[in-house]
Amino acid sequence: MSESDKVILTAENVSKSFGITQAVRDVSFSFNRGEIHGLIGENGSGKSTFSSMLCGIHNIDSGRFILDGKEMNAHNQIEGNRMGASIIVQEIGTLNGLTVAENIFLGNEDPFVKFGIKNTSRMNREAQKLLRDYGYDRINASLMIDYYNFEDRKLIEMVKATYFKPKVVVVDETTTALSQTGRLELYKLMDSIKADNRTVIFISHDLVEVLTHTDRISVLRDGELIDTIETKSATEDDLKRLMVGRELGNRYYRTDFDSKTSGEVVLKARDLSVPKQFSDVSFDVHRGEILGFGGLSECGMHEIGKALFAASYGRKGTVTLANGTRIDSIPAAIANKIAYASKDRDNESLVVNNSIRDNICLPSVDELATNGILAGRSLDEFANKNAEMISVKMTGIQQYVSDLSGGNKQKVVLARWLGKDSDIIILDSPTRGIDVKVKADIYSLMSDLCEKGKSIIMISEEILELLGMCDRILIMKKGRINGEFSRNEKLTEEDLIEKMI
Amino acid sequence: MNSNSWLEKLKTNKTFGRFYGITLLLFIAFLFWAFFKILTPGNFGNPAALSNYFLSSIIYSVGGCGLYFIVVMGMFDFSIGANIVLSSIVGVIASSHFGYPGLLIGSIVCGTLIGFLNGTIYIRLKIPSMIVTVGLMLIFESVAYFVASGKKQTLDAGLRAFGKAPASIILAGIAFLLTAFILRYTKIGTYCYAIGSNEYVARNMGINVDKYKRIGFILTHFFVGIMAVLTVSYGWSMTAITGMESMGRNFTPLMGTFFGIAFRKYGTPVTAIIIGEFIIAIIFNGFIALGAPTTIQNVVTGAALLIIVTLTSRPEKGAVVK
Repeated sequence: MSESDKVILTAENVSKSFGITQAVRDVSFSFNRGEIHGLIGENGSGKSTFSSMLCGIHNIDSGRFILDGKEMNAHNQIEGNRMGASIIVQEIGTLNGLTVAENIFLGNEDPFVKFGIKNTSRMNREAQKLLRDYGYDRINASLMIDYYNFEDRKLIEMVKATYFKPKVVVVDETTTALSQTGRLELYKLMDSIKADNRTVIFISHDLVEVLTHTDRISVLRDGELIDTIETKSATEDDLKRLMVGRELGNRYYRTDFDSKTSGEVVLKARDLSVPKQFSDVSFDVHRGEILGFGGLSECGMHEIGKALFAASYGRKGTVTLANGTRIDSIPAAIANKIAYASKDRDNESLVVNNSIRDNICLPSVDELATNGILAGRSLDEFANKNAEMISVKMTGIQQYVSDLSGGNKQKVVLARWLGKDSDIIILDSPTRGIDVKVKADIYSLMSDLCEKGKSIIMISEEILELLGMCDRILIMKKGRINGEFSRNEKLTEEDLIEKMI
Repeated sequence: MNSNSWLEKLKTNKTFGRFYGITLLLFIAFLFWAFFKILTPGNFGNPAALSNYFLSSIIYSVGGCGLYFIVVMGMFDFSIGANIVLSSIVGVIASSHFGYPGLLIGSIVCGTLIGFLNGTIYIRLKIPSMIVTVGLMLIFESVAYFVASGKKQTLDAGLRAFGKAPASIILAGIAFLLTAFILRYTKIGTYCYAIGSNEYVARNMGINVDKYKRIGFILTHFFVGIMAVLTVSYGWSMTAITGMESMGRNFTPLMGTFFGIAFRKYGTPVTAIIIGEFIIAIIFNGFIALGAPTTIQNVVTGAALLIIVTLTSRPEKGAVVK
């Protein structure tokens, strides 16, 4: 077989950005016929964005995909399917309120429609036959999909994504959601696609699984392709090194490694649980320390921030201050000088259709009012003082937050809590999508705050940031704390990743 | 096997599941009937009265079927009351020239055109359907007033067959079958559910969401046109009303729609709409039999609306409700 016969899919200089974040940069590589090709990388390395572009979920900014000699530029999943590529997604990809058969053929009903009339029973029969061929007899094609659990719905999705024999099938971190039996079904399906001389792109965080089930592995990091290697000559350590092995850019992190935190506990979390997020998590926060939480994005760590701030639903367990005060509601948290900056800045932290001034003053209006009346001047002064303190780049405090870049928006959030003189500051992904300059500002602000005896809880998906800034790091895995590390020069990214996956 | 899982198994059984929904609804109807019958044994709920309740309730059921198309997509329409008034008036005027064909075609075509207008304006303006249709309601009410020249429009005595059985049942029955057919045997039904379940995923499946939303509005108002024929035939005349007074006509059909949505997982939304409206009619008439003033109807409508919507919608925790 010649080289061109062997290759089924080529990516040529594919790029994609979301706002200021460049998710995929200039990626070029190729996939062979009859291979299972692993695609790995840290959170935010661009794996899902890359495959979403291939399958038509996201548009391509620049570059192109060549599938079997033809350029492929799908605008939605069904178009992608017709061109020969399909995807099984991370989340639920099936729709409530439709039957199993309707879900399988959604967007592709035309073969069953004659003169505008849909032959429902033929559609059901056809779907049932497919389910039988795949070995999922127990699923009834004519029933509402609502009756089936997550696992069965994934099986149905597998049928939906592959029954029409696409040339390339993307399996996007599907296995994390499946039990062992579900995983085996998926592996079986992948192998049968391979045996049919078609191609699987397999995205997973589970490196052992990737090593066992693939022929070649490509590694992405920060949206760039790092390397493609043959699986049989690779080890888990090789993969980890490729995933994270960049030079430690420590120019803006803390340089001290002597833990100077006092033993004084300022906040105690005991047996915290939030349904479907995390369970039985207990820890202490000390005065003047930066406590880090790390893990994969779905490990439950983001919810920890909300739970401490009493913003979670169905929270069990207790959060108490040193003096015994319990934090059971958001007003109680704020009154006791706890601050929270959400990962979702635009939706959960800021009122973007409002001015910088009003955003900064929002939690402090009670203190700023005299006899219940808010004077414009005192608001202006308060907002100006706090915005200048961390140099928000703006035309003035009357500017709308929606005009600002991600980094400056984050500064507005921080200015708000600085104004409140918060003692315990919870920062969820504080530098997400933020450029290097503002990142450095935020890190130095964090150091200053700790010097003043404030405590910071930083939740982050960036391992380097955790290593660079935290006095203590708790690593979470599947909703539980799976490891604890103290600040230490010898600590490496591999140590942390070990506990994450 | 314990009784709970046994029941669960029966509910998911294709044949029995359907009966389960219907049986449950009929049981609820029976409970309300029994409640009022015990309180007012004399003048409530004998067979003749029950058949009257049913004949009046199917008018609302037809509207409920129409509304179902857009409500499952997560939208709403406040202008159906105004459309009933306008389409009835147009139908009555057309019937004075062309008899029954005039009545049917006049009302249904007028209703459908309004659906097309609503859908188009909603898609173009990209603002919530509730606001769009409140604005349009005010406009349609005024148009009806001009069309009727401010006068009461009375249907000719020889053209009132659709006001009583069997013609009313036949016309409504055709509407019910048509709704069930569209939901089950065309792409429109599938796509309405898909858009309501997750518009983003639906778009990703290549579904032209705007197109199907417009079709939803057209179908809704097509059935509202049929409801207009039944309404004016049942009441013999129609007066144009302005200042949002047509609003009151929106809610009774809507309650049937919510019954349909609640019971859709048993595969019988249309039957649920019909029996649901019948239940509402039993409650209305029960209160009247008790001697409650007719304004009690508004209390019942209001309370029933809140209860049904609360029971049928399960918002996610922390979801922002506006």
